[in-house]
Amino acid sequence: MFFDSDLLMSALRALTPILLAALGGALCERAGVFNIGLEGMMLMGCFTAVATSWFTGSPWLGVLAAALAAAAYSLILAVGSVTLRGDAVVLGIAMNLLAVGLTSFLLRTVFGVQGTFDDPSLAGLPLVGGFSPLAYLAWAAVGVSALLLSRHVWGLRLRGVGEAPEAAATLGVSPARYKYAAVLLSGVLCGLAGAQLALGNVTLFSENMTAGRGWIAVVAVMLGRALPLGVLLAALLFGLAEAAGFRLQGLGMPQQATDAAPYVVTLVALFLSTAQRRRRAARTRPSTTGVTS
Amino acid sequence: MPRTRTRRSRSLRLAAVATGSVLLAAAATGCNAAAKDDAADGGSKGGGASFTLVTPDPVGQNEFLKLAVDGVKAAAKTHDGTQKVYQSSDSASQQQNVQAAVDAAPDVVVLVGFEFADLVAQQAEAHPKQQFLMVDACTTKTYANVSCAVFREHEGVYLAGAEAGLLSGSGKVGAVVVLDTGQFRRYSDPFAAGAKEAAPKTSASTRFVGGQSPFDDSARAKEQANSLLAKGTDQVMAAAAAGNYGVFEAAEAKGAYAYGVDVNQCTSAPGTVVDNVIKKTDVAVQEGIGQVLDGKGGKTVSYGLKEGGISLTGLEDGVESSKCVIAEHEDVLKKVEALRDRIVSGELTVDDPAAK
Repeated sequence: MFFDSDLLMSALRALTPILLAALGGALCERAGVFNIGLEGMMLMGCFTAVATSWFTGSPWLGVLAAALAAAAYSLILAVGSVTLRGDAVVLGIAMNLLAVGLTSFLLRTVFGVQGTFDDPSLAGLPLVGGFSPLAYLAWAAVGVSALLLSRHVWGLRLRGVGEAPEAAATLGVSPARYKYAAVLLSGVLCGLAGAQLALGNVTLFSENMTAGRGWIAVVAVMLGRALPLGVLLAALLFGLAEAAGFRLQGLGMPQQATDAAPYVVTLVALFLSTAQRRRRAARTRPSTTGVTS
Repeated sequence: MPRTRTRRSRSLRLAAVATGSVLLAAAATGCNAAAKDDAADGGSKGGGASFTLVTPDPVGQNEFLKLAVDGVKAAAKTHDGTQKVYQSSDSASQQQNVQAAVDAAPDVVVLVGFEFADLVAQQAEAHPKQQFLMVDACTTKTYANVSCAVFREHEGVYLAGAEAGLLSGSGKVGAVVVLDTGQFRRYSDPFAAGAKEAAPKTSASTRFVGGQSPFDDSARAKEQANSLLAKGTDQVMAAAAAGNYGVFEAAEAKGAYAYGVDVNQCTSAPGTVVDNVIKKTDVAVQEGIGQVLDGKGGKTVSYGLKEGGISLTGLEDGVESSKCVIAEHEDVLKKVEALRDRIVSGELTVDDPAAK
């Protein structure tokens, strides 16, 4: 059978790190900060998680340290784009490049190896019901952030800051403070994503091990229009496309074709969702222009 | 410059992201071009022959490159000469290191890896008196001053496949390989052929890692291995660079077995890794240098089981202390040794997927 529990499990495992990072990206997007540094923050999380787990023997401390380290790393974006008003895109790319170099350098200085650090005694996260605890946390984070953004005053203010910072400021809400909070939270979530990848999906660190997952998370934010549930669906789509791609290889489809699967799916989804948005906009336009109340 | 943050500008910003990342990546490599020439002088005495080894990556813990360094050192000792090692970190420093090596005009410039094929072709044409030795790859055109040492990995992989066929309980073996190219298929097709030779009812299947960074993505390689294991495969050949560790983890979790490449990888997952297809770069470098000095340069020498350039950890000395699972299966090793002898004598030839 093509769709079975193994395929679903594989998809869900692939989904977790992307989902955590994408939720962070969504919060930033809502606060008006375009965060493309997810990949770099995640990679910092991977390294910190592995290093901390190795030296303390506790993967939980590894998770905690990863969240803190990635949050600290995200300050580059927060200070750079909010306080110093730099371009978030440039900062994000710089963060991604810096993270690859910095973690490779640290791998050499801390562990004295190049490429990959892998040791049978490195402690990874335990599995609960087939998944790491961070996977459950990721699912919970979808619900929490959805409620936060739609119901809680903090989330509503965050959205206000993103959509109309001047208006928010006149109401006494400090845009800078909310933007800082969103970026730092995205750092924490990316740190968790990195810990999940390096201590959950696998138990090792290798240079550039995020391998584009942060970029997929950026696309998931756009595809899901920065709505937590939308982001979840987008990430799920990627996970399924990837797992199905592996399965299709077993049925004789060439690797080059299955590699393209997640991107083809993205393009199709993007076209469909844009077309739908257009149609909806066309339907509602006459009523909004006709009546001014 | 006006700073307007509107939703409409997002597509523009995305375009900027794309071009920006390309430009920055280019700039970053450009900066690194201040080459990292870790010149390590092997000896101060002159007079004898001199050899320079240029590596495509930093040597560090890279066992494969370490062996090449050993080979050059051994050659310097045999020929009472001196040696230098230039370690590259990216394509820009590769180019600079090759140039620096050629400028110093040693007796032989040794280069390891396919990355150098085009560079060597250019330099060999420009400097017809300089002797080059390429290891693990060759230039597309032949030059009188370029010698090549290439490996027949498929022969070793075939033997590993035979071990897998004999050890498999489910009759299903598989391979997780970096990319779907002829060169990398040397790690999958012969594995299946060897398994079928040893146990004719064996079925085999392959997964290619692929994706954005196939050489780094251990999580993806692990899922590929999982998709094989889910179908009942219990012996997995791993030729996925950093992904190998992911394959080992997947096999360990399911109680299955894996096979490593290039060097002894049994230590990273004792009890899971059965054996390794090892590539003896030191032998190739040492012998290659000898041939060039003897005036027999300009040829391509292929190293396989017969020449001792390719082997299995299980067939080498010290298998007892290798932490490899194969050490516990002497009966299997006996059969594999017999198979090796048939390949060495020429009675049996292993199909080369890269030759197709």
